[in-house]
Amino acid sequence: MAVGRRDGRAGQDVLRRVGEASVLVLISLAGGPKHGYALIQDIKELAGVELGPGTLYGALDRLERLGLIEPLPADDRRHPYRITAPGAAALRVHLESLERVSAAGRLRLQLGGI
Amino acid sequence: MDDPRAARLVQTVLRCYPARWRRRHGDEAVELAALLVKDGTPAGSIAWSYLAGAAREWLTPRPGRRLSTVACALLVAACSLGVSAGLLASAGPARAASTSPAHVPAHCRPGSPAPVPGVIPAMAHPQVVIWKAGHGRSC
Repeated sequence: MAVGRRDGRAGQDVLRRVGEASVLVLISLAGGPKHGYALIQDIKELAGVELGPGTLYGALDRLERLGLIEPLPADDRRHPYRITAPGAAALRVHLESLERVSAAGRLRLQLGGI
Repeated sequence: MDDPRAARLVQTVLRCYPARWRRRHGDEAVELAALLVKDGTPAGSIAWSYLAGAAREWLTPRPGRRLSTVACALLVAACSLGVSAGLLASAGPARAASTSPAHVPAHCRPGSPAPVPGVIPAMAHPQVVIWKAGHGRSC
């Protein structure tokens, strides 16, 4: 699945269905490799969302299965992860899609005078 | 983890994950929980998050895991829900039966045939309780 998404469907928003937690993890890893605790702290800071550890590991496993992140050699008991090139591309596509939706939403609010 | 009860709770919940997951993330998960507890996150909420994660982990189909395992897990979950619902449903009428019979309409009591217009029941008539003597309607 990961290979097909990486090679065959370039430009498609593969992050649309992975859930908010996975997108937040990917955004956090776009700033550099991190392990679990650092990810939770960073996401809390950047989005104000406190990810539960169970949610975090679920998101990490999902993203790794999709080939969007990869584990780095373990540092003691901690496993850092980093974003892969397909992960960065997928994140770019997703953020562009969000920006389009956001712009359309703002425009409609203006036109509707709400 | 400083609090032994919190540590025990987290370790118990982590046992709910598949062995493959525990081998990979187990040690780090314990350490992460300890750091979160130190930051002030309640141990209960950490345990709950891990529990939900474990359920998702079992229910997510994996290439290496046979579909029948997932189907069995779903079946067990559905059965336990069904049994719980059945127990609750059976407890309801039992509670209702233990309340005062004064709440039951007269025509619903056993041995009380439906009232027939124009007929006055004999006061001294011995009462014989016959279940089928009631009406045909459900109470």
